Amino acid sequence: MTSWFDLNEDDERAVAAFMTRVAALPSAMGAADPMQVWWKAQLLRRWDAERRVHAPLDAIQPLEIAAGLGTAAFLLYLSLPYLR
Amino acid sequence: MARLDEGAFTSFYGRATRALWSYVYRVTGNAADADDIVQEAFLRLLRAEVGASEEDRRRYLYRIASNLIVDRWRIGRHEEGSRARGREVQPAADIDRDIAHTFAELAPRERALLWLAYVEEDSHEEIASSLGLRRGSIKVLLFRARRRLRDLLRAKGIQS
Repeated sequence: MTSWFDLNEDDERAVAAFMTRVAALPSAMGAADPMQVWWKAQLLRRWDAERRVHAPLDAIQPLEIAAGLGTAAFLLYLSLPYLR
Repeated sequence: MARLDEGAFTSFYGRATRALWSYVYRVTGNAADADDIVQEAFLRLLRAEVGASEEDRRRYLYRIASNLIVDRWRIGRHEEGSRARGREVQPAADIDRDIAHTFAELAPRERALLWLAYVEEDSHEEIASSLGLRRGSIKVLLFRARRRLRDLLRAKGIQS
């Protein structure tokens, strides 16, 4: 029994035969050399790892700058009496 | 979860690349896009933690490639001219040209559905996974794609 979503047998055969011919069409594959892909992936993986290592340092940098500026302002405030 | 070593990757690449390239090329109709998408899919496979079986890796490649194809369609809507720069593969025989042109008349998603169903012989579940669609909608979408192809074949008088 065919369901509502099936084509009739002849149409189904025609579609399947057409797709077989599509699959057999000539093509000029230009995909890269596997070793080139492999080494590129290793490089990207290394960069990913370095980025992960540096991420906390990058995140803390604005805090370091803010702490430095705060300390400088505090020292300036403490030294104000001696500057007059 | 396991990562491929160099030898296993080279061997898997040799087995999987031609079929993946053909899929991407027939769906996009652009050889240069197919080269880029296939390379990007393999790069992402190598950088990701994918299941250990070959089938898992194959499914992952088709899913990534299908996502990249969709991304290109979105960009392509704004950059119609970019397609013309692609390397086109012109079949030598008239009948091959008719077949290629007829297939190209289908919508990209119809081409992807038909290729995965008939050439890769994937199940509805596998097609849904590759194309990021719900499993339940595959039957309807595939039926529409087959019906549209049947209508095109009838209109052009292409016989099986």
